[in-house]
Amino acid sequence: MGGSEERVVAVIMVGGPTKGTRFRPLSLNTPKPLFPLAGQPMVNHPISACKRIPNLAQIYLIGFYEEREFALFVSSISNELRVPVRYLKEDKPHGSAGGLYNFRDQIMEESPSHIFLLNCDVCCSFPLAEMLEAHISYRGMGTILVIEVSPESANQFGELVADPVTNELLHYTEKPETFVSDRINCGVYIFTPDIFTAIQGVSSQRKDRATLRRVSSFEALQPANRSLPSDFVRLDQDILSPLAGKKQFYVYETTDYWEQIKTPGMSLKCSGLYLAQFRRTSPDLLASGDGTKNAAISGNVYIHPSAKVHPTAKIGPNASISANARIGAGVRLVHCIILDDVEIKENAVVIHAIVGWKSSIGRWSRVQASGDHNTKLGVTILGESVTVEDEVVVINSIVLPNKTMNVSVQEEIIL
Amino acid sequence: MKALILVGGFGTRLRPLTLSVPKPLVDFGNKPMILHQIEALKAIGVTEVVLAINYQPEVMMNFLKDFEAKLGIKITCSQETEPLGTAGPLALARDKLIDDSGEPFFVLNSDVISEYPLKDMIEFHKSHGGEASIMVTKVDEPSKYGVVIMEESTGKVERFVEKPKIFVGNKINAGIYLLNPSVLDRIELRPTSIEKEVFPKIAAEKKLYAMVLSGFWMDIGQPKDYITGLRLYLDSLRKQSSPLLASGTNIIGNVLVDETAKIGEGCLIGPDVAIGPGCVVESGVRLSRCTVMRGVRIKKHACVSGSIIGWHSTVGQWARAENMTILGEDVHVGDEVYSNGGVVLPHKEIKSSILKPEIVM
Repeated sequence: MGGSEERVVAVIMVGGPTKGTRFRPLSLNTPKPLFPLAGQPMVNHPISACKRIPNLAQIYLIGFYEEREFALFVSSISNELRVPVRYLKEDKPHGSAGGLYNFRDQIMEESPSHIFLLNCDVCCSFPLAEMLEAHISYRGMGTILVIEVSPESANQFGELVADPVTNELLHYTEKPETFVSDRINCGVYIFTPDIFTAIQGVSSQRKDRATLRRVSSFEALQPANRSLPSDFVRLDQDILSPLAGKKQFYVYETTDYWEQIKTPGMSLKCSGLYLAQFRRTSPDLLASGDGTKNAAISGNVYIHPSAKVHPTAKIGPNASISANARIGAGVRLVHCIILDDVEIKENAVVIHAIVGWKSSIGRWSRVQASGDHNTKLGVTILGESVTVEDEVVVINSIVLPNKTMNVSVQEEIIL
Repeated sequence: MKALILVGGFGTRLRPLTLSVPKPLVDFGNKPMILHQIEALKAIGVTEVVLAINYQPEVMMNFLKDFEAKLGIKITCSQETEPLGTAGPLALARDKLIDDSGEPFFVLNSDVISEYPLKDMIEFHKSHGGEASIMVTKVDEPSKYGVVIMEESTGKVERFVEKPKIFVGNKINAGIYLLNPSVLDRIELRPTSIEKEVFPKIAAEKKLYAMVLSGFWMDIGQPKDYITGLRLYLDSLRKQSSPLLASGTNIIGNVLVDETAKIGEGCLIGPDVAIGPGCVVESGVRLSRCTVMRGVRIKKHACVSGSIIGWHSTVGQWARAENMTILGEDVHVGDEVYSNGGVVLPHKEIKSSILKPEIVM
């Protein structure tokens, strides 16, 4: 492990409002990084994981959201976890590596020896301390977290080939059309500060090439040649791909769970993964009850202390109930996220759904879906302040904020 | 003289447009919907307009400050903390609506676009001496609305029938009222419906009279009716020989083009098109029965019909948008893409064709 001069900084990329359209309608009123999974904002999970890094000095959140959207969160999480957390707003897109480079002065403020880079919308066990140890032993510029996936799904991600003995990164391709490897890039990295030199190298090379090269008008029309601004540097295509096989980058493989949280449907799945993680590491965060004094609990369930759940309700598996929610008598909740201030009236049923803040679910009504996290309507999503009237059924549908459902629907998007 | 405009809530039926601005500020015929009503009220001497709102007051107030100055009319907001229905807001704004003059005040529904024969309505109100006047309009499908049964000769209202299952009459409430201050004494400060609770009582006392609206009327609160409403509005501009309508070899029928918009060569625009400020319509473009809002660029050879293109969007070269395609703010339809009834939320790129009506989030 590092000595007392070893300082580590973590950078979490949180994205921004116009980029996160796949998370609608949940992102219409709340920034995606603050959406709760297993009872805690999405970005809390990587931040908590960062706490396990030895000699952690600072955590930076980098994104396109307005500063005021993160101000409250950042100050409260800094106090709660006793780690300094700062939010830095990008003024324009710089690419995944360019963004890091753009804030290099702040990141290097405490002269860290290592820099973690994490994507906020990745759901995994974040084995950061183990990654740091492995990275130090490899002595490269960076180490990438990788995971094995099914060959059919690999081409949605960046595919990597690594030396099985030295773990050196030999080859990297982003979303290839043909099969290259079933090991993929998890979006969690650790670098030494020379990463900044590598990024700057790409920028200046691009600047030089732009001034030197004369491009024929035919070439100029081809999409591949549409020139990127020199300060737009992508980690995958511009750094990892070209530097693979040059003893600069290494991989660390995880065999735990890993998912990307791009859609509301996936957020329900990932909430379940984190609840299962709590069962292993902090079981007292989870609810328990047998239907006598408290509601009957099945499987992994999170209930915020301020939520009120009637003892005749049955909750779980995989349910998460947020602050001030009121769950009435005889309610059944399975595979769902119930957000703040929701009221669920007597005998209602919610299965495979996300019920948005301040919504109201009527008596004997039913909100459900097939539970297929990968299809657009596989998890029913109710936006903020949606009312489902008594006895109404909403199946495999998405309802935007402020709507009242007074007739039953299936397979619909209600604007 | 005073007026109240019922603005109400979230405008969800006009999404995705109302995801970017509150409904009264959505442009219709190249100006915010609510401006049509405020201008009509100003023209007949109303000095103060109260907007009854319960959503995004700051956005409304910022916008209104500009127009207060330009139009020389006082505009204030009355904000509901809970939805008060169609009559409750009047009670809430009571102090703003009554002064010592004892004059009647107008109440308008913000979703309505019409000729606004408000001067005639004042005359009508004086002549019958009743407590309240409402404007009614003849429609083809009365069962979608609230039907008003009235005595044909005097206009005295007998009763209201909400969404009648059999034909009882074809005049419906047009959402334009002229009320004596005494009507406010009948309304409590709680969620109340003016059609179900207040007007029936006044009608029973034989003090409610209805005037048939001549000229066009449309509730433009949803996209299909918005497009129909534009046709009716432009038609009425034509009848008044309005100088606002465009003319030229590339214009067919009634077309409104903002003076800051640019139209290229070889285009064919119209009928029933409105092109907003700062728009660029490149050469060879065909536009019909559509609204193109501020800052939109329609690229060469594209075709748009029966659609609404939201602020700052672009429609690519050779692209085609038709059949109730509604693009929210900042939506970019790629070159050669076809959209058949695509409803697209703000800040999206459409790179592949939408073959049947679909919502793109």
